[in-house]
Amino acid sequence: MIKNIPTICSFCSNGCGMFVRTKGEEALGVLPLINHPVSQGRLCHRGWNRFQNLRSVNRINRPLLRDGSQAKEVGWEEAFRKIKEKLTGIVSSYGPQAIGIVGSPWLTNEDNYLTSSFARHVLSTDNVDATYRFGGASALIALERTFSGALGSLGSIPSLNESPAILLLGHESFRDFSPVGSRIVQAFLKGSKVILAESCSRRTEHFYAHQLTESLADLSFALQEKGAIPDDVWDSLAQGGMGLVFVADQVSPASNLNSLLNVLLQRLPAQNKTLNLLTLSRSPNLRGAWDMGIKPGKQGLNLHEMLDATSKIKGLLVFADDLLAHLPSSAMVEKLKKLEFLLVADRFVTKTSQIAHCVLPIPLLAEGDGTMTNCEGRVQMLRPALPKRGESRNLLEALGDIAGRLGKALAYRSGLEVRGAISAQIPAYQKISSAPESDSLSGILLSSPKPNGADSSAIQKPKISEGKFVLIIPNTLNAWNRNQMILESPVLNIEYPSDRLGIRMNPQDARDLKLRMGEKVKINSERGEVQAPIELDNTVPSMTLVLPSHFIDMVESVAGNGDVDPETKSLFYPNLYVSIEKI
Amino acid sequence: MDTYLLKKTDLPRWVELIQKSYDVFAPSRVHGEVFFSPISFPPDLDLLTGTATLPYLPPKDFVFPQAEELFSFFQQGEQVKLEVPKISGRGTVVLGIRSCDISGISWMDKFYQENFKDFYYTRRRENLTFISIACNQPVKNCFCVCCEGGPFLDPEHNEFDIQLVDLKENYLVESKSEKGKKLIALAPELFLQSTPSAKEIRDQLEEKSRRSFLTEPTSYMSFAIRRITENSVPPEVWTELGERCFDDGGCTFVCPCCSCFGVAYLSEGGKGCHYRFWDSCDYSGFTREVSGHNPRAEKGERFKRRFYHKLSYQYVKRDGRIGCVGCGRCITACPGEVGMPAVVERIRNAKAQRNYQSGKPEESLG
Repeated sequence: MIKNIPTICSFCSNGCGMFVRTKGEEALGVLPLINHPVSQGRLCHRGWNRFQNLRSVNRINRPLLRDGSQAKEVGWEEAFRKIKEKLTGIVSSYGPQAIGIVGSPWLTNEDNYLTSSFARHVLSTDNVDATYRFGGASALIALERTFSGALGSLGSIPSLNESPAILLLGHESFRDFSPVGSRIVQAFLKGSKVILAESCSRRTEHFYAHQLTESLADLSFALQEKGAIPDDVWDSLAQGGMGLVFVADQVSPASNLNSLLNVLLQRLPAQNKTLNLLTLSRSPNLRGAWDMGIKPGKQGLNLHEMLDATSKIKGLLVFADDLLAHLPSSAMVEKLKKLEFLLVADRFVTKTSQIAHCVLPIPLLAEGDGTMTNCEGRVQMLRPALPKRGESRNLLEALGDIAGRLGKALAYRSGLEVRGAISAQIPAYQKISSAPESDSLSGILLSSPKPNGADSSAIQKPKISEGKFVLIIPNTLNAWNRNQMILESPVLNIEYPSDRLGIRMNPQDARDLKLRMGEKVKINSERGEVQAPIELDNTVPSMTLVLPSHFIDMVESVAGNGDVDPETKSLFYPNLYVSIEKI
Repeated sequence: MDTYLLKKTDLPRWVELIQKSYDVFAPSRVHGEVFFSPISFPPDLDLLTGTATLPYLPPKDFVFPQAEELFSFFQQGEQVKLEVPKISGRGTVVLGIRSCDISGISWMDKFYQENFKDFYYTRRRENLTFISIACNQPVKNCFCVCCEGGPFLDPEHNEFDIQLVDLKENYLVESKSEKGKKLIALAPELFLQSTPSAKEIRDQLEEKSRRSFLTEPTSYMSFAIRRITENSVPPEVWTELGERCFDDGGCTFVCPCCSCFGVAYLSEGGKGCHYRFWDSCDYSGFTREVSGHNPRAEKGERFKRRFYHKLSYQYVKRDGRIGCVGCGRCITACPGEVGMPAVVERIRNAKAQRNYQSGKPEESLG
């Protein structure tokens, strides 16, 4: 018998409502919920094909222990014995601060809360973080600065179509997130001014009233004084209720977003100081994981620091994240490979699970329950659509057992109890376990915080270096083609082919330099140099080169060790002026 | 064709009798949304009236499921064994399907059964009987009247099993196919002789229904068919429409006429299966070749291709109708607000532009 189970999509931060259609243990398809406030009957191609990764056979079905290059399936008991032996060994030799915990925006709020609680109360370590340290955390820190701490609900997808103007940072924040893009189209049809700020691509599209060419680093400077941008754009961006949409994963450093928020908020009329702020992410629970305390404690190290070659970390426990796909530097990869103990609890066989000393199978988001917080600050309940596969155990059970082996106990026996603790401990989430609508298909919107007074930090004037190319290194560590759920779907795997290694450049620039597609060039910056083939892309602006950040070897050769964002204390690559020569 | 009257109060009795030999599906609410589900008792009679009720998941799922295992394989000693999954031999009756969806099934029948008979489609289709209900009252997104998809099925021109017409107290029952007659024969005592006045009311209802479509989704189909057939839609219109397409595939998945599928293997430890799933011409990977070259890399080109297949005369001639039945599901599904009626309207609005085929100004055609 076919069942139609209403739940929430697990690809991105929008949290669309969908039915997962199942027959026994088999996922047959999906259908968007028409009455859901986010999806309203619509999905993106990831959503429509979500059932394919639910059918994947590339799952971790039993615990695995690695001995040298060989991994063997073991029972949970044996895995627990090994985990106990390794963790107690590391703690007795180096102390609890030699252990790090990596939570995940691909886990529910409850599982993240548990993970954080496990780290602090069972392992007594403050080293807790997630891979959003390298893309996502900067945006959240900037927002926290602007909104005095707790984030709550900063925007609304259903009412974005009422915004008088919408500023989009990067063209990917549009069609890649279909319920948001859909509201942008509706706003455009109603006469709203849609303004795109994009430095990597010059693709004009009919719904943009204007395209600003500044990158986020330079945008606030351009918006600071009249004259730098056309007057009508200038006026449009000073209307109360305007939308600001961006992909959090691509924001760094935090100060760039802070400056922009300050400039925009200052210019809004006194009677309506609201912005409809949508902080998108390519992970489903960026907001929730952050709110649940997946960040370092006072004495703790963040993930960038944990994976520093000189850090004291000897053991790392990674939950539901393919770390190797999301690390921005080769030194971190090396450190990860050299750890005394790497534990991975995940669903699919990933590159990281293949180097882990111990692997634990956990259920997919479609196989368990719990809540996730979307980009609007809407907390929604996931419902189990499929039975757990193989011997997978949910984190509550697994962490409870590990805690027991270590002579400690987790304070919770059910997801409901964890939810109760979240609502008692995290003020913004107070309503989630008690409000009558907490179980409704549309979830609960957290309350909206008010922005602080304007921040007076000075905005840097952009540097311009005449005659040189600007090299942009966009953060692509979270690109869809690095997402295991995409790789497990036959259709999506074709839709998101892996990038060809190369530096993207404008075809006219290439002609001027007498370069052909695929030809190798030497790029020199003040930080280093790299030889790489070029890829011609007619959307790349003239005098611009684009190198996706996930080609880390090339990025490191030309941009050195990058910069460290003083607020997130994490690595990012600023734009560089470079020269290019034919080899 | 046979015509009868069936008292609405007798419908549950008839369904009960049908259930003895068939699985019966009817529209029902699942968390507030309508699906064809195994019929419950008492049936949701409010979904079986003359007002159009379209489950969002199109009934093509009965014959062409969103995902369907074609065969499984496993290693046995030296040999690899193949097994085609069995399906229930019991017949299925779908009650409460609408005229547009029956037109969609007829289109599917042509695609999957004309010339080459698709084994998986045919074995499901042969087991299926449809009892449709004519729409006395179209709803918000309906435009079947522009596509010959409804609101009533014409016994002379449309293929169907049984069509019910809601006459308030009774249904007028029009039974056309052998499969339909079999269902009537299960309870002949419930089917009363029809009257000339019932036929008259039926025709009046059909006429009234035809006049109650809303202006917004109803479309100048013939205009779009001509412009697409003669390739005179300005390319910039396709580019613009393509920019509004999100490549999500939603329109193709909910379309009762879209029949494209992809196939994939799932295999682990010497056993696995081969399955097919709904695919979409919206997707860039749909036409991309192994070399990496994509003949329709631009979205506007894919968009144009989709509507060419739906509306060009070449296909109308081959398939007997346009590839749209006017159910309006694509209006609900499209994040870019370019469902069929919006596209047809955009093409109509572009009429003052150059005629790209003849190279002559267009005014004379206007």
